[in-house]
Amino acid sequence: MKALTANRLYDGEAVFWKSGAWVERFADAELFGAEETAEAAQSSAAAEITRVVDPYLIDVIEADGGPAPLSYRERLRALGPTNKPGHGKQAAGGADVARLAHAHGSARSTGRVNLIRRK
Amino acid sequence: MYLYDDIDRAMLEDRAAEFRAQSQRRLAGEITEEQFKPLRLMNGLYLQLHAYMLRIAIPYGTLDPAQLRKLAHVARTYDRGYGHFTTRTNLQLHWIKLRDAPTILEELAEVGLHAIQTSGNCIRNLTADPHAGAAADEVDDPRIWAEVIRQWSTFHPEFSFLPRKFKIAVTGAPTDRAAIRIYDVGLRLKRDADGALAFEVRVGGGLGRLPHLGPVVNPDLPARHLLSYLQAILRVYNRHGRRDNIHKARIKVLVASLGAEEFARQVEEEWNKTDKAAVDIPDTELARIRGMFQPGGFETRPARSAAFEAARAADPRLARFARRNLTAHKIPGYALVAVSLKEPGETPGDATSEQMELVADLAERYSLNEARVTYEQNLLLPHVKLDDIPAVFAALDGAGLATPNIGLVSDIIACPGLDYCALANTRSINIAQAIARRFEDPATAERVGELKIKISGCINACGHHHVGHIGILGVDKKGEEFYQLTLGGADGDDAALGQVLGPALPSERVSGAVDQIVEAYLAERHDGERFIDTFRRTGLTPFKEAVYADADQTR
Amino acid sequence: MPTLIKRADGRFFAAEDVFVRLADEEAMPPAGGVIVSLSRFHAEGERLLADGRPVGVAVAPSEEVESLAYDLPRIALVVLEFAKFRDGRPYSSARILRERFGYAGEIRAVGDVLLEQAAFMVRCGFDTFVPADGTGAQAWESAAHRYRYVYQSAADGRPPAYAERVLA
Repeated sequence: MKALTANRLYDGEAVFWKSGAWVERFADAELFGAEETAEAAQSSAAAEITRVVDPYLIDVIEADGGPAPLSYRERLRALGPTNKPGHGKQAAGGADVARLAHAHGSARSTGRVNLIRRK
Repeated sequence: MYLYDDIDRAMLEDRAAEFRAQSQRRLAGEITEEQFKPLRLMNGLYLQLHAYMLRIAIPYGTLDPAQLRKLAHVARTYDRGYGHFTTRTNLQLHWIKLRDAPTILEELAEVGLHAIQTSGNCIRNLTADPHAGAAADEVDDPRIWAEVIRQWSTFHPEFSFLPRKFKIAVTGAPTDRAAIRIYDVGLRLKRDADGALAFEVRVGGGLGRLPHLGPVVNPDLPARHLLSYLQAILRVYNRHGRRDNIHKARIKVLVASLGAEEFARQVEEEWNKTDKAAVDIPDTELARIRGMFQPGGFETRPARSAAFEAARAADPRLARFARRNLTAHKIPGYALVAVSLKEPGETPGDATSEQMELVADLAERYSLNEARVTYEQNLLLPHVKLDDIPAVFAALDGAGLATPNIGLVSDIIACPGLDYCALANTRSINIAQAIARRFEDPATAERVGELKIKISGCINACGHHHVGHIGILGVDKKGEEFYQLTLGGADGDDAALGQVLGPALPSERVSGAVDQIVEAYLAERHDGERFIDTFRRTGLTPFKEAVYADADQTR
Repeated sequence: MPTLIKRADGRFFAAEDVFVRLADEEAMPPAGGVIVSLSRFHAEGERLLADGRPVGVAVAPSEEVESLAYDLPRIALVVLEFAKFRDGRPYSSARILRERFGYAGEIRAVGDVLLEQAAFMVRCGFDTFVPADGTGAQAWESAAHRYRYVYQSAADGRPPAYAERVLA
């Protein structure tokens, strides 16, 4: 399974693709079962240069009753920094956040090869 | 300290206006991200995990109260009410919006602050000895020269698209307190054989994937030729530095591949062809800048303060603070007071807006309107009368800024790591916090003595782990956070790169391993030996045994 | 005729390109200005210059302009190629041509030439530009004049800030 994520251009917020729109919560993200639909979405997203920066696909697994990013890095993006529980998306609380925060089975994502390179 | 004149302020205003126009073009889709990225990087604006990060320059780590208050205001208004002081003495804000960035730059410009060239393949922020202007062993105030270089390097038309970033550090005393050996160019002020001011010039230091201590390329550069010589270095680098591989693009690779001698010869050849008078700083301008760094406002005080002595005899906490967090000042009756941003349990190097405002107030009232940022991610009040130490201590103590741990095991350098940074492999803040908590008892920390722990969440080494007495490097091992420990690094006159202790440890083992290392040190140490002294005598063996004795524990 | 942007006396305007760029194997046209690669110039430069036509030399980022030093007084145009806008080597080449050799001919920026680098290019001594981003003379003129002051001297002769301070 994959999801499509990016950072919103005007404020840098981590966002997720859902049927042509960008949502802020990972729990609302569209999940792709097929490679073609995932890549088609990525192509569409990449063309929207005024909405988001650098859309890329991430691996998603089933973890403890719901989807979770495979990559620990992407879980941090979906939640927020662990040193400040009141900052980031995790501050909203709720069942989805709790589940994601405690989900098992994180590993390095196989869907994202090139990290953002700082020049 | 240097005060911006109309020209300096015009630079900042024009830059802010330029960036506003560039951002608007980006937001409107008139330029692509690929075209915009170097432009925003040259204004210190990174895109990270959760938001944009803005890296505000604090040239040579010096701030006045108005600037500190402005930083507090910007952090409160446009961010989450705090900032992170870095190993480059800059301030990072982690929750910035691109659409606010032009306004932030305009606001910063009002007090002579900016984010110019804090990223990008250009000459970056200048760092200097944090004790500049207060140290008795100083030959000349390195910040004078750092300001000279800052102006020359700002919006430099030839050197804004270098193969890679370029960092220059300046120290003004025989003792290196600016870690000059780990920078692209490290400059040490000295007097030559005739007593004239000169620089010992090192080129090609750096950490990261290929750590290197910079060799001396010119032992005696007449100070007045600093800029023309720097131009020669930068030009040789701009023309011949590698551009085919981002990991081989720093000047240290060029110096290593040519050899220091050949590199020096090429620089010398370029320098000899230079019209030096067109580049070097005129005497009048040097005098103008120097004049702003003349110390002023010092009172004549006795070397000992009866009030201070009495207060610390009566208060063991003040006594410990005085032992750990004060440094002798060249002016009798004064001291440099460290402001620790390493309260155990907190994020190392972070300060809230309220804390920044408090330090601004203290700088204004007690430190001749000056505060400093150190590359060890603490702050400093450089000119405090001994008489005033008890009041300053009380104020800092009330704000969580008086932890008596400068240079001790809980005074940890840590990069923001995977909690914030898009480049990181692992988190580093949690590791720093776990270690600091183990040693939060001040008596224990003091008993252990000087021990510099530096943590980086990835090989880019923003936490300077290579030069930590204990260095900790986060590595990616199949989805889990692992950490490789090194021992024996150092960043001053006795600079050295740390040696790998053993296989990387999982996250939950790290603070315990540090404990084991400390126990091994305490068992081995001879009288008066700091950790680094004992290590230099014993090597890795006792520490390796202590941490890896039970091999099962590494799984 | 292809156009490019030309700078003169602080103004920027569209101008016609009177030169033709020749590939290394391409035959010489009977007359008119030609731009040849550095290696072709080294091989055939004398003959070209003897023809009496304006001669331009295109220098790639890794090539050194010093090899033209002897011939510069007779070369009408030096073309400096930006392989990628991030590759800053042409800035050094331009300054060397202007400040070290006193080159008075045209220095042209071609390749990945973008508006946002206009000010740097002007300061290093470029006077004609072939933008890759579709921007025009007016935008280039604004971009080149964004900063009221400069801190360091370069090829454009603008007084550095310290000189302005003395006058003030």
